[in-house]
Amino acid sequence: MASSALFTLENPTEEHHMLRQMVRGFTRDVVEPQAEEFNRRAEFNRALFKQCAELGLLGLTVPAEDGGAGMDLLGAVLVHHELSRSDPGFTLGYLAHAILFVNNFYHAANAEQRARFLPGVLDGTRIGCMGMTEPGVGTDVMGMGTTAVRDGSDYVLNGQKALITNAPEADIFLIYAKLDGRMTTFVLERDFEGLSTPGKTPKMGMRASSLGEVIMENCRVPAANLLGEEGGGLVHMMRNLEAERLTLSAMSLGIADRCIEIMIQYAHERQAFGRSITQLGQIQRYIAESYAQTEAARALIYTVARDCGPGKRNRIGTDAAKLFAAPVGKQVADNAMQVLGGWGYCDEFKVERFLRDAKLLEIGGGTLEAHQKNLTKDLVKARAQ
Amino acid sequence: MKILVALKRVADPDNANKVKIPADGSTIDTAGLEFKPNPFDEYALETALRLTEDGTKPKVRDGEVIVVTFGPADTESTLRAALATGADRAIRVDANDDQLDGLLVAKGLKTLVAEEKPDIVLMGKQAVDGDTNQVGQALAELLDWPMATFAATIEEQEDGLVVGREVDGGVLELSIKYPAVVTVDLRIVSPSSVYSTKTDRSFKYNEGVRFSPLPAIMQARRKPLDTKSLADLVDDTGLKINYLRFEAPPARLAGVKVADAAELVDKLKNEAKVL
Ligand SMILES: Cc1cc2nc3c(=O)[nH]c(=O)nc-3n(C[C@H](O)[C@H](O)[C@H](O)COP(=O)(O)OP(=O)(O)OC[C@H]3O[C@@H](n4cnc5c(N)ncnc54)[C@H](O)[C@@H]3O)c2cc1C
Repeated sequence: MASSALFTLENPTEEHHMLRQMVRGFTRDVVEPQAEEFNRRAEFNRALFKQCAELGLLGLTVPAEDGGAGMDLLGAVLVHHELSRSDPGFTLGYLAHAILFVNNFYHAANAEQRARFLPGVLDGTRIGCMGMTEPGVGTDVMGMGTTAVRDGSDYVLNGQKALITNAPEADIFLIYAKLDGRMTTFVLERDFEGLSTPGKTPKMGMRASSLGEVIMENCRVPAANLLGEEGGGLVHMMRNLEAERLTLSAMSLGIADRCIEIMIQYAHERQAFGRSITQLGQIQRYIAESYAQTEAARALIYTVARDCGPGKRNRIGTDAAKLFAAPVGKQVADNAMQVLGGWGYCDEFKVERFLRDAKLLEIGGGTLEAHQKNLTKDLVKARAQ
Repeated sequence: MKILVALKRVADPDNANKVKIPADGSTIDTAGLEFKPNPFDEYALETALRLTEDGTKPKVRDGEVIVVTFGPADTESTLRAALATGADRAIRVDANDDQLDGLLVAKGLKTLVAEEKPDIVLMGKQAVDGDTNQVGQALAELLDWPMATFAATIEEQEDGLVVGREVDGGVLELSIKYPAVVTVDLRIVSPSSVYSTKTDRSFKYNEGVRFSPLPAIMQARRKPLDTKSLADLVDDTGLKINYLRFEAPPARLAGVKVADAAELVDKLKNEAKVL
């Protein structure tokens, strides 16, 4: 389980192996000890975020010549996987910055924009977010109501985004809006007039990340902050959703790995009716099925991660990975709670937090139903060709 | 300041595959083992990095840190991990574990020291596999250099080091002149255990060894890694220590449950005889 050996499916190169060793150590020594507290306070840990920056994790998919680390998507997957063993909530905030903002921005931006915006988001002084969802539209993104109109050399944006991770503390926003009916991507900055982020949206899990709205009222955006071309938004969105789905799947895997560890340890020590509960067939089923499902999710996620990146689109694979892995994370966390009985329901053994966190992965970055819809559409299309 | 750090890999005790000993006890079966750096050697590397920097600017190296290991080709991954952590270059002396003993490693290091001329040779007080605790002492003897073992604190001075060693009942401080051999103990990676002349005394390190930043991991392959053969370094590569037999420690017996504190005290007193 969760091998650290060189050259496995999870560590195709020595660099991946070293990265995993580093993130695993960082997670054990630094991330784990703060997880309970920030979950309870329902706050994003800015100091921890800054430490991620110092370790070069904020720009992991940005090439070295632009100040990043030049890692591939599998590297991003393994970082989210390892961090989520301890703190999925923090990992979601990290993902919203490193994948939804930085990775998306990098591929869509021109040289001037990279030079202007990357330093601050790579060294952690500025925190980013991505706004696609609106109060009235989620899955049906093409129906979004946020608009942009040209005004001289500027654009003026109007509309409202909701359920946006990091919005309450973000300094920089990647926003999709419709310009002449075509999806277009803009970079907005905290001090732009007409931009506001009222309040924090309370939620069931992922409490160590914050969620909120972004409101644009005649928000003036200079032309230099248009990302890519007018109407280029759909390509940016679809390309980045692949990275998003895979890193979110990896979070489910991290949750499952941790919950298996917790349930095995507990079951091994817990006695009932004069023997270890690992002797009970029903408990064996929870443990064995959790393990088998988790290993299947691992194999799928890492196989797809090898076959996906900026130069290799893989919509079918990433949809399949998240469709499969998200319910595994939730099921395994639920199994762990069942194995732990009443103690599983209490905070101390952590699985209640992992179960709450795990549910988000069936919704965020695409609901299960959206993956089913897209997969079927793509599979039928591939066959028809 | 130039520091040579000797680094050995050991079997990872957390891995599912444990060290196995065949029935005849003639050898140790290393098949399927996963390796990690000997923790005390990782502390030695951390010490070397602290001695060659201002603690507030860990990306700037003032001096040179060279890591060396004796082992087969796949030990290069241990060296590259050290390069990712901050060492400047690496040397692998090609040899298999069963062709080495402490004295032979010390002799090999002596030749490397003659080539590299470091100010300090640093290493762990012992490797956690064989626990022989010999190489540092043997090397100091062969070089006729001053030595400080089991270092818990180190302060850099102009012409040498002040080393604190934890001994029974207190701390022994000794001052040694360059060039010197130092072996380190676990406490050397505490927040205020090592100070270079560049690091302010109010600065506190994080507890433990540093994490390798991702950009450094990606750069590790570009740093120099030389390979040498053992025969190039040592004329007589014969072993002076022969292992006669290996035996696994006895399996732990099942525990017993006691009814109350009185029974526990009774057992501790009369069976375990520890009270
Ligand atoms: C914690 C959290 C963090 C988030 N972070 C971000 C973020 O950073 N940025 C961002 O833009 N968004 C974010 N989201 C929003 C998330 O992506 C959306 O919630 C998700 O896409 C679903 O949209 P919706 O909630 O509007 O649901 P709807 O799309 O309204 O769906 C409601 C139900 O209808 C189903 N449904 C909808 N359409 C179809 C269909 N065609 N076929 C079958 N079933 C369908 C859905 O599956 C679901 O069951 C976040 C959400 C949460 C909860």
